[in-house]
Amino acid sequence: MKAFDCAIIGAGPAGMSAAIELAQAGADVVVLDRADRAGGQIYRSAADSPLPDAAHLGPDYAAGADLIIRFEQSGATHLAGADVWHLGDDGRILFSYQGETREVHCREMLLCPGAMERPMPIPGWTLPGVMTAGAAQVMLKSDAVVADGAVFAGSGPLLYLIVAQYLRLGVQVAALVDTTPRQHFFDAAPLMPRALQQLGNLRKGLSLLREIRASGVATYRYAENLEVIGDDRATGLRFSASGQQHEVSADTVFLHHGVQPNLNMSRAMGLAHHWNSTQMCWQVTVDAFGQSSVPHVSVGGDGAGIIGADGARAAGRVAAQNILFRLGRISQADRDQSVRADLNDLSALKPFRRFIDCLYRPTEALRLPRDAETQVCRCEEQSLGDLRKGFEQGARDPNALKSLTRCGMGPCQGRQCGHVVAGLLAQWRAESPEEVGYYRLRSPQRLLTLDELGRYGSVSAGAAE
Amino acid sequence: MFRSLQDDDHDLVTLIVNDQPVNARKGQSVWSAMAVASQVVTRKAALSGEERSAYCAMGVCFECMVEIDGLPNQQACLRRVADGMSVATQDITENSEATDEGL
Repeated sequence: MKAFDCAIIGAGPAGMSAAIELAQAGADVVVLDRADRAGGQIYRSAADSPLPDAAHLGPDYAAGADLIIRFEQSGATHLAGADVWHLGDDGRILFSYQGETREVHCREMLLCPGAMERPMPIPGWTLPGVMTAGAAQVMLKSDAVVADGAVFAGSGPLLYLIVAQYLRLGVQVAALVDTTPRQHFFDAAPLMPRALQQLGNLRKGLSLLREIRASGVATYRYAENLEVIGDDRATGLRFSASGQQHEVSADTVFLHHGVQPNLNMSRAMGLAHHWNSTQMCWQVTVDAFGQSSVPHVSVGGDGAGIIGADGARAAGRVAAQNILFRLGRISQADRDQSVRADLNDLSALKPFRRFIDCLYRPTEALRLPRDAETQVCRCEEQSLGDLRKGFEQGARDPNALKSLTRCGMGPCQGRQCGHVVAGLLAQWRAESPEEVGYYRLRSPQRLLTLDELGRYGSVSAGAAE
Repeated sequence: MFRSLQDDDHDLVTLIVNDQPVNARKGQSVWSAMAVASQVVTRKAALSGEERSAYCAMGVCFECMVEIDGLPNQQACLRRVADGMSVATQDITENSEATDEGL
């Protein structure tokens, strides 16, 4: 079987941008992505929107359509619907494709796993009707499905974006419950002057907020003590704001307080990770070119630290140029010349990112549960109280706690509870999450049937369908 | 309440969700078809049997696992609807007995 020069996992902004560069330089590149069409989460369905008027989603989303089309015409082999479940540092990749297990081999690997929403373990968050703001986005973009009369709660640009999109589309919004603490505005203020260098991004954010304000939607600021109410379904959200108790009725509650890198692939590969204390999440440790602790494995986009879609495009191109150098297709001088503009853009984005990260950093009250009954591990139904008991019985790190309580052992493989469990242990041990560590993850990274494993095939470079 | 913003003049398929016929647009996710039909309970929690529903809708949380054509543990947010597809709320708890149904 002939190996590909490079396999890219994930066809979001980073993966697509990298694939275009690699294919243009004549490299044999394969892109494996779970979705039917490229785009990732941010540009999902951007090139074939089911919405009568996708312009309501804004110009950034529309810009994704152009990238998708350029990617599809790039000559890169795109395996749409390929769900990767094993990545070997020997360059072997196993994935589910059309009901079968397939394998490809590659010399260089570029992981572009993107971001996932930070879980918000508040009381009642497991009730039907409670979803993430990202879920509202996905349903809107890929299926043109919306929830009337929903309440949106939390903090951060993506929350304001979906509220504004709903309003533009004439969808009724019950309330925006903003949890950004007053203190964060003071903390972020000194970072504002440098963030002004990215005036365009700043303007975009401010105009979203203005749009929401002008709509007259009920908005509560500095909200705390969030709790979803309902017995077997969400019926509303209870919270306090400005010293008063409030209750908003809604059968759908969308939560959001930022995104974090999708770690399961990079963790299962054993790449080095570190704790980002500004973004309050783990991320893969990479150099300026996106190269990880395993030299032939690179990581691009939000998977290597949250940088947003524009940053992800630049990071993908930079990683691609370095891979071309590693493949011996271009010289080091050529690489350095090619990446200069993108590296400059990436550093220009930093002050703005620092400002946003500071203003909207997740609060401990929403990051970590406080009520003993609140579920932490949704799959295995392990509550804060259960985990605390496990800790008191001597389980001091995520893996010991997993062995003792089964937290992180369910079908999501710790994707939801991993950061929360590490955060709780850090709190209890009064140490940094860096000391506490993370779950040890292994392949397969998705549910497989034996039936599927029984049907096995491979995809060679130059002979792909 | 979930609703679709689309006009009705597109290709429809009919699936069965918990014995109820549901119309959905071709290419739509099973989860969003369920949501529009107000069939939001995807599974029973494995220990308590509490009702659960999709949380992330992007394949990360595994809360939307349903039974599709007799096969359990199918993520409704990742699967696309098909004509005649049969979808049921997944009810597999600690006390369930293994069966070979659907194999």
